[in-house]
Amino acid sequence: MAIDRYEEMNEMKIDVLKEMGSIGGGNAATALSSMLSAKVNMTLPRAEILEFNEALERLGHPEDLIAAVFVEMSGEIQGIMLFIVPQEFSDEVLFRMLGKTRVELLEMEEIDSSVLTEIGNIVISSYVTALSSLANVEVELSVPQFTVNMLGGVMSLPLAMMGQHSDRIMMVTGEFRIDDKALNSGMLLLPDVESLNILMKKLGVD
Amino acid sequence: MAKKISVGIADMKIARQEGELITYALGSCIGISFYDPMIKLGALLHIMLPEKNQADSNVFKFADSGIRETLRKLYAFGATKGRLVCKIAGGAKMFEMKGPGGLGNIGERNAQNVKRVLMMEGLRVVSEDTGANYARTMLLDVGTGQVFIRTSGKPERML
Repeated sequence: MAIDRYEEMNEMKIDVLKEMGSIGGGNAATALSSMLSAKVNMTLPRAEILEFNEALERLGHPEDLIAAVFVEMSGEIQGIMLFIVPQEFSDEVLFRMLGKTRVELLEMEEIDSSVLTEIGNIVISSYVTALSSLANVEVELSVPQFTVNMLGGVMSLPLAMMGQHSDRIMMVTGEFRIDDKALNSGMLLLPDVESLNILMKKLGVD
Repeated sequence: MAKKISVGIADMKIARQEGELITYALGSCIGISFYDPMIKLGALLHIMLPEKNQADSNVFKFADSGIRETLRKLYAFGATKGRLVCKIAGGAKMFEMKGPGGLGNIGERNAQNVKRVLMMEGLRVVSEDTGANYARTMLLDVGTGQVFIRTSGKPERML
């Protein structure tokens, strides 16, 4: 049955999304691992339907300064993929890729932000590739956009997109661990409601 | 220290005489402060979308319904239209986005509609800090009526 609002998703559909997050995240972790030449895995993904402020709380304090890579999905699945990079994750990546120690997020040079954008682009593409082949859907990805900003500001666009039809949003989240270190990174899959219906139909969970 | 009252997304709070109303990290959303200096009554509203499109939704999510509901409450508490001072912040363009539903310029549309609705209600925006591509935290000191804006990596400034 098609839904109009995120809160109409039942347990079974949420489980399917978790499973998709797990497959997408696993693929993304493999890609990240080969780029960083390190052991990378992803925590068990969560698929949750939350009120706007609860959704933000899950990710941190709204004023937390973070870097983020933003990709818009279009085609059969519409929505947003967001890769959230806090200072400690950026440190780990820039050390491994460029041998740099501690570049403050607000003081990054072009090369630092390019590296993070490219890392974000690759993990997001691998995640979405896994999803689209699993569900047999065509998804186009926009050029990745990079920002360093407050978490709340970064989330405002996805929240507005999902908030157009409901007072609650749905997000599938997962976190990478590099050499077993938790670095608070966030991989967010934020589909619009209509895309969820398409996904579920394609996967035969209707 | 003044009591801090936090205003969430799609939320509004009112305070009188003292306290600080604060809303964090406005991106494409807009923060609207209302203040009646005579009776030291203030409100801070955090809206997310320009126009109400759902009957059963949170009124504070939208510019039009949020502003009207806030004003209704402020007038009930004794505020007078002629004395109300309004300031707005936010409406940034955090990312470029094509669809769906014209979300790419949602910040700009929010700002335009907030100003339009305030004008229809007979109120003028005294000062604003909107647009650009960064998030803003907005604070209204109900004791003094002063409004402060902070952004990452810059000193706090008065609006």
